[in-house]
Amino acid sequence: MIEQNNNNFEPRIIAFVCNWCTYAGADLAGTSRIKYASNVDIVRFPCTGRIDFMLLLKAFAKGADGIIVSGCHPNDCHYTSGNFHARRRWMVFRDMLNFLGIDVERIRWSWVSAAEGAKWADVVNKTVHKIREMGPYTEYKKAAMFLEKEKISYE
Amino acid sequence: MAGVEFATDYKYMCSDPGQNLIKQAIKEHHLDGVVVGSCSPRMHEMTFRKVCSEAGMNPYLCEIANLREQCSWVHEKCDATTNKAIEIVRGLVEKVKRNKPLQAIEVPISKKALVIGGGIAGIQASLDIANCGHQVILVEQSPSIGGHMSQLSETFPTLDCSQCILTPRMVEVAQHPNITLYTYAELEKLEGFIGNFKATIRLKDKSVDFSKCTGCGLCMTKCPQKKIPSEFNEGLGTRTAIYTPSPQAVPNKPVIDRENCNYYKKGVCKICQKFCPTGAIEYDKADKFITEEIGAVVVTTGFNVLKTDFFSEYGYGKYKDVITGLQFERLASASGPTLGEIRRPSDGQIPKKIVFIACCGSRDPAKGLAYCSKICCMYTAKHAMLYQHKVPDGESTVFYMDIRAGGKNYEEFVRRAIEEEQVNYVRGRVARVYEKNGKLIVKGADTLLNAKPVEIEADMVVLATASIANNGAEDLAQKMHISYDPYHFFAEAHPKLRPVETNTAGIFLAGACQAPKDIPETVAAASGAAVKVVSLLSKPTLVREPLIAVVNRCAPPQYSTCVGCFMCQTICPYQAIEREDITDRRTGQVIKTIAKINPGLCQGCGTCVSFCRSKSIDIQGYSNEEMYAEVSALLNK
Amino acid sequence: MSKISEKAAALLQEGAIKMIIGYEQGTEHPRPIFCHTPEDCKKLIFNDQCKNNLAVYLTKKEIVDNDKIGVIGNFYVVKTVIQLFLENQIHLDHFLIMTVDEAGDIITFGNIDEMKQYVASHEPPANPTVLAAIEKIDKMSREERWAYWKTELSKCIRCYACRAACPLCYCNRCITDVNCPQWLEPWSAPLSNIEWQINRIMHMSGRCVGCGECAAACPLELPIGLLTKKMGMDIKDSFGEWKDGNVLSTYKVGDKENFIH
Repeated sequence: MIEQNNNNFEPRIIAFVCNWCTYAGADLAGTSRIKYASNVDIVRFPCTGRIDFMLLLKAFAKGADGIIVSGCHPNDCHYTSGNFHARRRWMVFRDMLNFLGIDVERIRWSWVSAAEGAKWADVVNKTVHKIREMGPYTEYKKAAMFLEKEKISYE
Repeated sequence: MAGVEFATDYKYMCSDPGQNLIKQAIKEHHLDGVVVGSCSPRMHEMTFRKVCSEAGMNPYLCEIANLREQCSWVHEKCDATTNKAIEIVRGLVEKVKRNKPLQAIEVPISKKALVIGGGIAGIQASLDIANCGHQVILVEQSPSIGGHMSQLSETFPTLDCSQCILTPRMVEVAQHPNITLYTYAELEKLEGFIGNFKATIRLKDKSVDFSKCTGCGLCMTKCPQKKIPSEFNEGLGTRTAIYTPSPQAVPNKPVIDRENCNYYKKGVCKICQKFCPTGAIEYDKADKFITEEIGAVVVTTGFNVLKTDFFSEYGYGKYKDVITGLQFERLASASGPTLGEIRRPSDGQIPKKIVFIACCGSRDPAKGLAYCSKICCMYTAKHAMLYQHKVPDGESTVFYMDIRAGGKNYEEFVRRAIEEEQVNYVRGRVARVYEKNGKLIVKGADTLLNAKPVEIEADMVVLATASIANNGAEDLAQKMHISYDPYHFFAEAHPKLRPVETNTAGIFLAGACQAPKDIPETVAAASGAAVKVVSLLSKPTLVREPLIAVVNRCAPPQYSTCVGCFMCQTICPYQAIEREDITDRRTGQVIKTIAKINPGLCQGCGTCVSFCRSKSIDIQGYSNEEMYAEVSALLNK
Repeated sequence: MSKISEKAAALLQEGAIKMIIGYEQGTEHPRPIFCHTPEDCKKLIFNDQCKNNLAVYLTKKEIVDNDKIGVIGNFYVVKTVIQLFLENQIHLDHFLIMTVDEAGDIITFGNIDEMKQYVASHEPPANPTVLAAIEKIDKMSREERWAYWKTELSKCIRCYACRAACPLCYCNRCITDVNCPQWLEPWSAPLSNIEWQINRIMHMSGRCVGCGECAAACPLELPIGLLTKKMGMDIKDSFGEWKDGNVLSTYKVGDKENFIH
């Protein structure tokens, strides 16, 4: 399932998901034994409204090559409106990141409901594939480690 | 990993021996944090937290690493997968190091329920709650309880007399020691939160002192204003200005309709007061307001029917003999304006040809009501049958799109109408109804015969108009902070699994105010809502998971890093954020006003936390420190 | 004495107003002045070079206590006062907010609605230099943009003058001061400087009045005014005109984006 390319580069991707929809959907993918790439680590939040935009930047700074943010479809939020607020936050955030030259193509936003196990696997696989093609997010890591003495290395 | 004192593995950690392993480890090694690498936390987080609690460690210091559904079950068996499992555990180890011990929150509960709306849903809910030993306050807007069910003649699929099955319940409500009934009353304001509501109820002035009135009815016979269209009879009959809606009203004591009373309009008359044998009539008193401490609210405000003036092509409210289904009920009812005989409102003649048009307004996205009103197919069949019973030589035709008869014995009921009662069912819509020579010409089509045009010269046309939300539904929803859909039906918390709750904790729903419903479903929903209320009121206190948001506090002179901009108040879906004045203890002067989260209302979504610019709010269980540590640890090699 | 000075002096003499904040002529540009006496008022001026956002003083406890203060400010001052009021940071009865029209006459605002009406109809036109600079950056490729901003913002010394000049940055504990967890490294470094600006913009979303004082205050003349302007333009496109600053705290079911699938 994990393709080997010349550089042996395997992207590290962090997924920020909401407990009630996407996390449950990922669980469903598990119980259905749908296989997907293992490059993604899932971090559970009660709601997409809880996902602080700084956490995304920190993920990139600490070595993530890609990010997935996923939650309930609009109108389905367990807390009624958390995902609506999150959506607005992402709209402003993404525009600003894009203007600053941060690679927003490395962030995949999606709505995955608790019934969409297959869609979750698909989101993961497509994102991993895309990030693998894009390569590691070296320029961001370099900027983050400006004051560090170590060189950047990846397995 | 740094900080990990003890690590082990066991094949079935959720089993008893597995649980004991954890308990022992906690005791032996004095652990203050546990990470269980296992199946999804959605399965067993509670199990393992309970285990920790039993071993003497705070349950919220336990986290579950999802190594099954999100790791071993979805990836190939290889080193990369093992490494991922290690990463996941490491992430949660770092998170749990920052977890704080939390206590479940206890909120006191007022042991009283408020039921708004005295139709069959409200009556059933009140009786169920009262029979469990709890106090109920039932508030009804009109002068009598009973709702639309009391207007029906017979109910499908059994053709029971509606009043006969309803009135015993109405009387039971009036006489029940645990139920306080307020009719001609409305909810003025609802403040507070689950377990601790404060309801202000407006008791509209009736002009009649119910403690003196005996219900003799003499006033009604003497009142000179006799021609007021009766709401109970859907405008087909009249009533007086001092009136009870119907002879079976509960309470059976009249009120004065100020808008139509000679005294209130012109300052003359006062005949009712003159004739009243007990001196119960008192004019010009103001509405009274009472406040009650309430633990839970059930909203059972019911529905309304779309009026015929919505349908210009069917007669625009201008033909008297084009009526709604509810008006037909009043004609068919033995206590109605025509004493149960089906007669045309225009000239009182018995119609020999009657046409029923289904789906008037419903299932019509173009005109705005896209939904199906659910009950019309059944009551149209019922009306056609009643008509055939009462006018055996009459001819009835039903124009329908589909027949929705999904309940128990419903299909058999409709079949009976078609096959035994000889009701003519035509599958097609009606384009127009117009008057010609005293007859109503109905032009429709029969789609089962290739859209052959059908024209009927009818004496009466009955429109099965859509069930719509009741008047004032939007205002009431806003008063109570419950959500409603674009049609103003109140929103349930989850369409499948929580149909009788709203997203506002402590407020429940039952009946047609949530969506069109027939009587069996309404009664079931009312009992369901009643159980939710009773389960809430039966506890000594309300215990809630403490995974909620908290505004930070610190030493004076800052008191909190919150600057009181209150934009978080706007963002909270549960209105859980309040303003708290920090006052000088001696002078009482307000030093600053900061935000405060109501622990009874906060549901723990965390939207305010990521919104707060100064990071003055944090959420227990998913705090900023915990999530930052988890993300950092996942990426650390 | 000019009309403004006369009016200001009269207000001070009446006694209800204890101090007037306005503009005076500085060495090269106008600067704020705090007038305590009618004599001070003689220095008051008002022209289109008066750019400082005087509202920044209105939330400072050292300047504003229980006395009533008059403010003769430009368009942005009025807009900021509305925003500060909506965010519960000022008591309007402590202030007499005034501005000056084209004829040089003082307009006194009696209440918040009058201010809102004025703001709705007197928006100054956008600065064409700023718009041109933004357009130039928009046309760059992503790599070029990253290179541009990394170069520019590496020069930032994290003096926080932009924060100090902004009237809507009134938090008594800034996000940079939060250390559990440490969201932003407080020292100057390329990425951390970019993160600081991102935070500043996100926190200003919907609230920024567009006065440009952040850019004016920067001692290194970094192009941070482009960021606030671009944010304002994007928000207006996505969510409509400024109303009450509640852009990120409200939502519409119909909010449209093209990147969430």
